[in-house]
Amino acid sequence: MSINKQNQNLSQVEQRQRERFISKSTKVAAKYLRRMEELPGAPDEIKPYFEVLRNIYVEQMNIPETNGKKAIGTYCVMVPQELIYAAGAIPVKLCSGSYTAFSIGDDVVPRDACPLVKAVVGFQTMGTMPIYRDCALMVVPVTCDCKKKIAGMLGEMVPTFSLHVPSSKSEDEDMEQFVLELYQLIKVLEQATGQKVTYESLIEGMEQVAYAQYEFSRFLEYRRQTPALIKGTHVMAMMNAYSYMPVEKWSSQLKRLNARLEQNKKNKLYAAKENQPRIMITGSPVIFPNIKLPLLIEEMGGSLIGDETCMGERMLYDPVAVVDESFDGLIRAIANRYTRPCTCPTFVDNTQRIYRIKQMIKDQKVQGVIYHVLRGCLVYDYEYQVLEEELGKIGIPVIRVESDYNEEDIEQLRIRIEAFIEMIKLGGNKNGR
Amino acid sequence: MMKNKKTYLLTMIVTCLVIGFASYFAWKIEFFEYTSGLENITGGPISYIIALLPFLVISILSAAGITLCIYIRKYYIKKDYVAGKFCEERAGRRTGRRIGGRQADKFTLIRWVSMISSTILLIFGARMFGTWFSSIDLPVLSCAIDGEQLGESGCYYLTHLSDLFTLPWKEIIMFLLSLFGFLLLFGRIFCGFVCPMGLLQDIVHSIRQGLGIEGISLNEKLYQGLKPVKWFLVIVFLCLCFVGGNFCNFCPAVSLTPAFAGFKVSLFVSGFIMVMVIVGSFFKRRFWCTICPMGYLMGLVYKITPFRLKKDCQSCTECGACYEACPMGIKSIYTERENEDVTTTDCIMCGECIKKCPENNALSLKFAGKDLYKASRKSFMFGYKEMEKKNEHK
Repeated sequence: MSINKQNQNLSQVEQRQRERFISKSTKVAAKYLRRMEELPGAPDEIKPYFEVLRNIYVEQMNIPETNGKKAIGTYCVMVPQELIYAAGAIPVKLCSGSYTAFSIGDDVVPRDACPLVKAVVGFQTMGTMPIYRDCALMVVPVTCDCKKKIAGMLGEMVPTFSLHVPSSKSEDEDMEQFVLELYQLIKVLEQATGQKVTYESLIEGMEQVAYAQYEFSRFLEYRRQTPALIKGTHVMAMMNAYSYMPVEKWSSQLKRLNARLEQNKKNKLYAAKENQPRIMITGSPVIFPNIKLPLLIEEMGGSLIGDETCMGERMLYDPVAVVDESFDGLIRAIANRYTRPCTCPTFVDNTQRIYRIKQMIKDQKVQGVIYHVLRGCLVYDYEYQVLEEELGKIGIPVIRVESDYNEEDIEQLRIRIEAFIEMIKLGGNKNGR
Repeated sequence: MMKNKKTYLLTMIVTCLVIGFASYFAWKIEFFEYTSGLENITGGPISYIIALLPFLVISILSAAGITLCIYIRKYYIKKDYVAGKFCEERAGRRTGRRIGGRQADKFTLIRWVSMISSTILLIFGARMFGTWFSSIDLPVLSCAIDGEQLGESGCYYLTHLSDLFTLPWKEIIMFLLSLFGFLLLFGRIFCGFVCPMGLLQDIVHSIRQGLGIEGISLNEKLYQGLKPVKWFLVIVFLCLCFVGGNFCNFCPAVSLTPAFAGFKVSLFVSGFIMVMVIVGSFFKRRFWCTICPMGYLMGLVYKITPFRLKKDCQSCTECGACYEACPMGIKSIYTERENEDVTTTDCIMCGECIKKCPENNALSLKFAGKDLYKASRKSFMFGYKEMEKKNEHK
């Protein structure tokens, strides 16, 4: 009820602005949800994930079923979820894709900042979204200039911890440093939640996330089927829902989805046709409601069968490999998992990303790669050149698609993607594939 | 904390040296000649226990050393600004709760069975099967049999090079043939599958895992620091016989298998080193193997052995799990992107890297091109299936 009190104090203009903001942002979210649901081939088991997105973005609710647990806001993929669960809290990923919040943030942060950051700042300054408002702590990894600066901006509004991610990971000292950083993070988490991270609670947290990764690894097996068993856009929705769901709920739902996919596989119920071009997205994250790119790909007749983005497979792909069973050993294993295999372009040497993409192309029989660049996302843009060159050598076409958080470029994107898909179709015929 | 780490590492080394030095006095408990013969055991269980006394003394000293090291470390961690808060958690496991998802796979089982049975064979083999294999030279320590020259071990003549050439030429040829035959066929797989010292170190390591006590985290610098020690030991190993004495006077293994076989052995310097080996391998898995001179010499032929560790350089995600898991601290296994063959002179073929590798076929152990053991995501993740039920309760 404190919100109402706050609202009364606001001037009339501000209140109207706020109401318009809410109605506009919920409308956009509802529209994209509808488009996703209208996309044929969604199994019933994926619907709860849509429901989660609806609750957060349309109904403006907070995470349900928290049992009084505090929410910890996180950004990027480098914040260990295990530690947050161990501290008795629930992690919420706050990287945002909202067009409406983007236009608010546009006035606050520099023009050349990336839209993701603008949207986050927009939500934070409006203070209407419960998931942003009710966080006990924000953990912002310092992964790029924009993230570094919003860590400072958020710090003025909410308790914020900036997690220093080493810029290179080849030396043992870099890892040593990150382990220390995680100890500091635990300390801050304990202060925020009032609960101690013990050996037992750490194991508990690790097992929960590990189980989600187990189900996810099974899911990836199904995703690799040709023709695809599930639409890529729906997978994107599922991965986005992971940000706003307690992990055990997410994984038990995924278990049901896996069972359904197993059935579909037996009954040969595919979500794509045999000859549909198999497309993969890599680059900047695709975050709800900015889901236009996957939607366009699949509406234009492509089959989105994989992604190498931080709101997609990268989030849960790499498991924690526990070697030493001591408390310190577990923290080291977590530190390892969140940095070494991570293909985020924030690292100085990131050639491993090329290998990863090549391997995905091999595993998932990808025919074309769409390189998504959010405007102002420099680190991803830097890596396009090398990737194009490398994929050229193995004969996989790539296009770089730059987009912003608005709908102005949608027609232009549609034309380019359509042409790309047509090109693959023709090329496929020529090679007799 | 980095500074503290150095301090406690140094303190631990000093502690080890002091405790090891104490074993110098252990010779007073039992000091018999090493070659007293097998018949000692016929004296009944009491004489066997007496023969084991030196080993018991070593065990007690090692346990004391380990406890001391743990307390010293705790003291330093407590002083640390950040980590001090977690010193209770870091001290070890308080309940029986262990993390799920541990893999139980065939390869590890085979390795343990092989290590245990080979240790038993190397101790009691001559008594169980007679001495028909007397002129075969295993490239590992087998002094328990060797004490009566029943079967000869490769390391015996390598440490007694001056004696080797006084032998009849038939024996020299037999020595060279069987030693190099084994080496070329198996390479350092002896270290991972046969060596009793390896078994002892793996047992000590498992005890630490069970107690949840943290080890010394891996570090390239640490391995660099151990290299001169290894070189020194290699020189001593090969050359000491020419200036009098031989490596067996220092060899820590002398207080292991011969003692269990019933020989009455003196502790002296080898016991001193053995204490350090046990304390060292408690905190750092297979500590002795990283400086073992015999292991190093065996590793020299790694380029032509049919056992190969292969890597699929594309599917590797550089997660570093293999590097963390490797008891020998081989870093190139995870940084390599060009060469498919990642076998190195240090590799003991223990398969730990493959066990911890989550990528399909990224790492595999091959024998003459045939897969013996390969990494698989399915088997890596399968351990977490047991969490399914736990998840449903929530």
